Amino acid sequence: MATNKFHPRWREFKFTLHRIFRNPSAIIGFMLLFCFMAVAMLAPVIAPPKNQFNPYMMPHKGYSPTPKPPSEQNIFGTTSGQYDIFYGAVWGTRTAFKIGLFVVLIAGIVGISLGAIAGYYGGLLDEILMRLIDIMWAIPTLVLAMAIVVAFGRGLDKIMIALALVQWRWYVRVIRSEILTLRDQDFVHAAKLMGVSDFIIITRHILPNAIYPVLIMASMDMGSMVITAAFLSFVGLGAPKGYADWGQMVALARNYIVGPVDDPLRFWYTIVIPGACIILFVLAWNLIGDALRDAFDPKLRRR
Amino acid sequence: MTKLVQTIDLITNFYTYEGVVRALDKVNLTIEHGTTFGLVGESGCGKSVTVRSLLRIIQAPGKVEDGEVWFFQNAQQDTEGIELLSQNEKYMQALRGDSISMIFQEPNAALNPIMSIGDQVSESFLFHRKQEMCRQISDTLYSPDCQIFLPVKKLLQPLYRLAAKNTGAWLLKFLSRVPVFKYWDRLLKREALRRSVDIIAKLGISNAEEIVKSYPHNLSGGMKQRIVIAIALACHPVLLIADEATSNLDVTIQAQILELLRELRQKEISSVLLITHDLGVVAETCDRVGVMYAGQLCEVANVKDLFGNPKHPYTQALLHSVPRLSQKGPLQSIEGSVPNLVAPPRGCRFHPRCPHCKEICRKSFPMLVEIGNHHFVACYLWTNLSRD
Amino acid sequence: MLPFIIRRFFFLIFVLFGVSVLIFGILMTFSPERRAAAYVTTPQQAKDIPKIIKQFGLDDPFYHQYFRWIKEVAKGNLGWSLVAARPVGEAFWRYFPVTLEMNLFAAPIVIFFGIWLGSVSGIHRDTWVDHSTRIFAIIGWSLPTFLFALILLMVFYGYFQAFSPGVLSDELTLFIIDNPDKFTPYTGMYTIDGILNGRLDIALDGLHHLVLPIITYVIVVVALNMRVMRSGIIEELSKDYVLTARAKGADNKTVNFKHARRNALLPVVTVAGQLVALSMEGSVSVEVVYNRHGIGWWLAESATQLDMPVLMCICLFMGVVFVITNLILDIMYAVIDPRIRLN
Repeated sequence: MATNKFHPRWREFKFTLHRIFRNPSAIIGFMLLFCFMAVAMLAPVIAPPKNQFNPYMMPHKGYSPTPKPPSEQNIFGTTSGQYDIFYGAVWGTRTAFKIGLFVVLIAGIVGISLGAIAGYYGGLLDEILMRLIDIMWAIPTLVLAMAIVVAFGRGLDKIMIALALVQWRWYVRVIRSEILTLRDQDFVHAAKLMGVSDFIIITRHILPNAIYPVLIMASMDMGSMVITAAFLSFVGLGAPKGYADWGQMVALARNYIVGPVDDPLRFWYTIVIPGACIILFVLAWNLIGDALRDAFDPKLRRR
Repeated sequence: MTKLVQTIDLITNFYTYEGVVRALDKVNLTIEHGTTFGLVGESGCGKSVTVRSLLRIIQAPGKVEDGEVWFFQNAQQDTEGIELLSQNEKYMQALRGDSISMIFQEPNAALNPIMSIGDQVSESFLFHRKQEMCRQISDTLYSPDCQIFLPVKKLLQPLYRLAAKNTGAWLLKFLSRVPVFKYWDRLLKREALRRSVDIIAKLGISNAEEIVKSYPHNLSGGMKQRIVIAIALACHPVLLIADEATSNLDVTIQAQILELLRELRQKEISSVLLITHDLGVVAETCDRVGVMYAGQLCEVANVKDLFGNPKHPYTQALLHSVPRLSQKGPLQSIEGSVPNLVAPPRGCRFHPRCPHCKEICRKSFPMLVEIGNHHFVACYLWTNLSRD
Repeated sequence: MLPFIIRRFFFLIFVLFGVSVLIFGILMTFSPERRAAAYVTTPQQAKDIPKIIKQFGLDDPFYHQYFRWIKEVAKGNLGWSLVAARPVGEAFWRYFPVTLEMNLFAAPIVIFFGIWLGSVSGIHRDTWVDHSTRIFAIIGWSLPTFLFALILLMVFYGYFQAFSPGVLSDELTLFIIDNPDKFTPYTGMYTIDGILNGRLDIALDGLHHLVLPIITYVIVVVALNMRVMRSGIIEELSKDYVLTARAKGADNKTVNFKHARRNALLPVVTVAGQLVALSMEGSVSVEVVYNRHGIGWWLAESATQLDMPVLMCICLFMGVVFVITNLILDIMYAVIDPRIRLN
């Protein structure tokens, strides 16, 4: 009863927040994410770069291909080529955020605006867009991204562009199907009858109601895009050797997954540390996405 | 009049995010053999929750908290009643659809969209009449004029004889999992389907043979509601609960369904519990009426008494708010709004809207007392007794 | 039914045309010199690049080149694969069985586990069963396939020495190479060929090499299936027909499995297309890490060595797979759901 005096949207928001934070997975997810954000922001403090102009290059002493175990100097040890794993893990956090945010933001903005316009107006534009997406849909994300990276040339920036170019199709689909159902609802008709402009209808009335599935997807994508980028780096399409990127670090360690016969797990740190970074980063976003889904999904939110 | 179902102090709560919704607050309801009982009230006042609690099919997050539900199957009342809330789930499964069955508000949603009508109606027979059907088939199989291919017949005979004795025999369960042999119950299913055709035809549907092969989306709303009724009637229940069974139908279809229910009441079933918010329907079809408000039962009376001489202020207000042909002046409405059941008003839940509100109304709830001629009312205008 | 398949056939042509234009367009951003390298099969030809550009018209306008390419493809010439050192078409049929084999074994497991775990989780919503399956799913979903594969390899190959990468043990591979008359590769899949040739040891060895890839794959892919199934079950269980069934006297098993689960399968069929795409991506990572020379490995290798005809071929193949799976799914959908009519 007491909540009645608040604006409905605020109440809804509070309800949603309550639902999100009632979920233990959200709490873990946000805590993990907070840690990663802190590491990313404090990277220059935690791991002071040797080269001020190019802090993303991992420092290395020597060129020996055999990894060295954790020591005073290199607390996580060094990987093949003597790159410092600790430094790579810290600055790799920044790289991961860069990849995730860039891809999701670009794909999201392009996808939402195209999807909203196509869904709202329909017609020829919608037709052309949907056929294009039909075609793109036939090729899995990873394969299409690979083809684009090959065409643009290697590099982390190329990977990011390729993933954004591939991933926008998801946002179009999701936002469009939401809008198609919202478009014919009474409150939109009412707004139209009152002479509200199309732009205001889309931005004020339709998008706020259609945005939840996009938020869920964006959060999941932050993780999955980092995975895909890491795999492309792993295959060798990514950043130059020595760039602080988790996928690249796993690739460097690839030949050392099996140690000498007497001690097969000797080089565990070369793969487990960057691997754990990737997994935890992705896990954080997926936990948040899952909590958002539980909180927003009208089918599941009855309680 | 003899009791059929009696609820005593039934309490049901829903555990939601906003808090505990106290949907039923000590409901005492008695339904007699051979009557049509109407339960009326606004939406959300707990009518459906009452009957669902009674059948124990409340869905999560709801829970029947306390109270008793007595069921007296036998009209002569020579056997003891059975308390349903303390029975195990298996007993309830045997009871639902057999002794008490229910039809639901929305015929479009009440049928499984991907099962054929025949299968859905057959299920009732397969749940409750399996043994009887097996016995019948077994008799046919042993009779000399049975036309089945001999080896198959020889194989089926012992199976059905076993099934007639014990439907849950492990051999039968095992056979149902073996390819080819799992079709041993074909005859059983055919018999159930034949009975389904019969019951559907009985409800005045001409092409029942074709209807059983179709799917819910092939049928109109009225037709679907008849199928839902057929499912409920399949095993000749003692009590049929119709939960807003006509609310979502066209007026003409509504009249047909009500007519059907009335006919059935005379021929097939003992009692009907009709839940509705349509007072016109109640006046037309019911013998007795109960009025609910915000999870509490206010008044129960014979239909003529209730409409002619309502005692509870809420009943009076409700009746005044129905438009009549002889209406003069503006239509009256009830001041205020339905309370939020998370934090219901103390005492009588109607008191904030009641024109006759007294000091005691705010503190405790009045007892449901009889004031003559089977007319029960729970209001301090008529009694000084409190419930608690 | 027939008109539906014919429509699908036109859709296939449309998609293949679109995919080829799209990929061709992407690859046209290469300079003619780099594209000419694709025609070079021996080191000696490298100095002939300008000649090759002239000869194949690599600096012609886009549509010229595209139609020339289409003509070649119509003749069955998909180009030359550097990685495989043979024509693309021929190489494709060498690599395809390896990928198909893994997917044939993994798909039933993924489907079965996904549906089973999803239903259990949905039926026992908010209990410890539900929570643990969800945690399992979300961790599986967060594991990058290649990383998980590497870790499994590290533990089971390195530490326990129980499984090894590749498709077949070295001795058996050598045996097959040395005795081409004793072992006929009917299908190209060792598990099946082994049985067909009466060499159970080869079949078992092939299966042994499949264990780790399939585990990797299933744990990573099953989550999607499971999640859709779970929310489907939860949604269906809240519907009115479930109440009708309960009021009929149905037991929990009937309500959950006969009524709710069949309905909840519909959305699972809808995402199955996504599942196929996911399994294609999964194949790439798994094959690269476990060194199984299938389509995925070939793609990754070709991408790093700029083997363009292969990229083109694989994208077209994906288009065919996409259309065919969609056709199958639509038919399945119509079988499960009587409301859908294919025309």
